[in-house]
Amino acid sequence: MHEMSVALEVCRIAEDQVGLAALPNVREVGVIVGRDSGVEPESLRFCLETLLASAPFRGARAALDLTPGDDLRVSYLEIEDDDSAN
Amino acid sequence: MTIRRIEVRERVMERNNSLARDVRARLRGIGVPAFNLVSSPGSGKTLLLERTLQDLGKEMHIAVVTGDVQTQNDADRIANWTDHLVQAVVTGGACHLDARQVTQALEALELSAVDLLFIENVGNLVCPASWDLGETAKIVLFSVTEGEDKPLKYPKMFQQARYAMLTKTDLLPHVPFDVAKAKEFALEVNPRLQFFQTSGLTGDGLEPWYDFLRAQVTPRTRPKARARRSNGLAGAAS
Repeated sequence: MHEMSVALEVCRIAEDQVGLAALPNVREVGVIVGRDSGVEPESLRFCLETLLASAPFRGARAALDLTPGDDLRVSYLEIEDDDSAN
Repeated sequence: MTIRRIEVRERVMERNNSLARDVRARLRGIGVPAFNLVSSPGSGKTLLLERTLQDLGKEMHIAVVTGDVQTQNDADRIANWTDHLVQAVVTGGACHLDARQVTQALEALELSAVDLLFIENVGNLVCPASWDLGETAKIVLFSVTEGEDKPLKYPKMFQQARYAMLTKTDLLPHVPFDVAKAKEFALEVNPRLQFFQTSGLTGDGLEPWYDFLRAQVTPRTRPKARARRSNGLAGAAS
């Protein structure tokens, strides 16, 4: 039952990618979940949505892509940039 | 407002796997085989280690990293049979050991004086299958008081393991456990599995297990470990 560890790791990877300050602007997190990865997709979705709904995130969506095999990776992040700040 | 998309493609387990690769390289570099013992709770991992330390402790230096969800009971049991080299990890509720915990535990051990390392994982047939610890091989234990279909119920663990050990075989006359069927199910999920059958209570089947361990350690590891010790610092520095 390590879906929460996996979800926390997904959040850490997001922070590595965009930096802490940009995490509130993350709109969607794409995760590839292999059917043999040892992760229960609905449980992971629940954990991930819980984390993405709380600070520093601000309600990002978790988009799970179920695939054959044992792949388990963050595939993409969608960020909303505030153009007026530029 | 504009939406931009960043391609990431990073494996979720990459940080763990990278630490595990470091552990594996380090252990291989000093010639220490490491076995990750996995099973459901109560299958006999700790008793197997107690017996092994008791019987082989005089001919090789065995270190143990042991993980428990709570308490230090297993570490205390194992420490009764060896003067040194037991490192306890209390996971505080986590259902598995990870490579970071093993890395930290290894820091506390003097590996140059070790011939063989056991990692006693948390009793759980699900999660530890997903976490590479840098071990040489996983050994999955299952006792004859469990169902023969354990390998079918927990296929990932049996696929990840290179060896399977049936334990508590002294109870076979008293339980409706079909050894042939259990092996058949295990081979169905992993045709390359090799088997041991042991009773920690009576000692039955331990000799083949000890011979296996001796073969892992000699001749590759032990002469080197001895040489290193006898050469002292000069040997280590060269």
